Amino acid sequence: MRAALAVELLKMRRSRVVAVATTILSLLMPVLAAGFMVAYIAGGDSQLTAKVSTMVTGSAWSDYLGLMGQLLSVGALLAVGVVVCWVFGREYSDGTIGSLYALPVSRTRIAWAKGLLVLGWGLAASVLAAVIAVPIGLVIGLDGPAGVGDIARAVAIPATVAVLTTLLALPLALVASVGRGYLPGVGALLGIVVLTQIVTIVGAGAWFPWAAPGLWSGMGGADLASTVTPIQLTLPVLVGGLGLWATATWWQRAEVV
Amino acid sequence: MADTIQLASASTRAATLEARGLGRAFGDITAVDGVDIQIVPGEIHALVGLNGAGKTTLMRLLLGMVHADAGTATVRGHEVAACTPDDWARVGHLIETPFAYPELTVTENIVAAARLHLLTREEAERAAAETVTALALTPWAGRRARVLSLGNRQRLGLACALAHRPSVLVLDEPTNALDPRGVLVVRRALRDAAEHGAAVLVSSHHLDEVARIAHRITVMHRGVVVGHLDPGGVDVERRFFDMVYAAEPDLTEGVQ
Repeated sequence: MRAALAVELLKMRRSRVVAVATTILSLLMPVLAAGFMVAYIAGGDSQLTAKVSTMVTGSAWSDYLGLMGQLLSVGALLAVGVVVCWVFGREYSDGTIGSLYALPVSRTRIAWAKGLLVLGWGLAASVLAAVIAVPIGLVIGLDGPAGVGDIARAVAIPATVAVLTTLLALPLALVASVGRGYLPGVGALLGIVVLTQIVTIVGAGAWFPWAAPGLWSGMGGADLASTVTPIQLTLPVLVGGLGLWATATWWQRAEVV
Repeated sequence: MADTIQLASASTRAATLEARGLGRAFGDITAVDGVDIQIVPGEIHALVGLNGAGKTTLMRLLLGMVHADAGTATVRGHEVAACTPDDWARVGHLIETPFAYPELTVTENIVAAARLHLLTREEAERAAAETVTALALTPWAGRRARVLSLGNRQRLGLACALAHRPSVLVLDEPTNALDPRGVLVVRRALRDAAEHGAAVLVSSHHLDEVARIAHRITVMHRGVVVGHLDPGGVDVERRFFDMVYAAEPDLTEGVQ
């Protein structure tokens, strides 16, 4: 497992896809959230202010970081989803999958190493996003207390959303593998985003795992957020674990064609 | 030119790589049909045949990349499905696309391949440095694989197959993209591997090249073994086509 982790980590470190996704997750998300908060605080009758007013109800730290959580529930799914599709699908698109056969390190371990590294990367990028959000929040002048304890509690929301969303992106590894390339995975990712919107509109709510983090972070309003249960929030863990297990199993059994 | 004395002694040794009645069909196309082949330590065994003869599929079957419909494939005495990590640690292969991740440098690719064959980081780095030199890749050692020419990518793939000093080598047309100097480098590398006791199975379209390095030549056509060629004999090409035409008389008129 150690060799698989070392090799896969090197590939991720050198990857432009991962570098771009890290920038989007850890820098663009807090900047976007801060930009929306600035528009909200400035008030006025602009379209942007009107839109932001449906997402936040105040200008406190909890509002700002809650907004970032909402943005992450979609942004992280897209960014992490693309990374998952690339990490697994590139072996097929680049034709390197054959090199991973007839090795003492099983393909099951290589697949688990890929998945665990993506999970670790998603966690690190989301924590980094939350950390970067703090100084930006100080600059834009939010209301209310800004003590370490308050900020730490507020930071927990976007960080949790990002971790859950990372888990929800893992089943895309199976799609990219069975589809033998990253494009089928990216197609499925877009399908999930659309399906989540439809399922939310028809009222299935947080029982649809891909909708749970967004609803919990307040995307459907504070009332709906309060109805999200701990069981619903643990579903992404199940989805991620099953997705990775199914991918590893498929990797071990699939033929080179 | 092959050494006939070495060939005779090799034939008495236990096979490191073996196919017995191996078969595989894809839909209604039979890619490999009842193939028996043995590759012993210290032997370079060449597979030759026209496109679609089944050479690549046979190699994939021997490496567990595809599953057999019939027969058995064994590596170091173990059936492919039951091979241990220790068995696979002694195998090197290059089948079609080389182990060449475009974002990694030449050295990083070789180190990565060696680590996946269970060499420690220090051993892998040392092995990579030696293999870069052996395969004349020094000018490109620090370059990313994405900027390499096709021939150098192929040599990189070969370096990744050789770095951990395997005792079983399976190479699918390892010289098809190389310039004459690259062919010489690969020829030397394969001879070195065999002299160190590796069992080498190599496929090629270059009959002259095969005759220079192989101890044994097996001819495949339409998924079956149609004969063997003596690398030391005269007019290898003529004898090759005689075997192919004999296996498929209709082909004679179209090709000749």
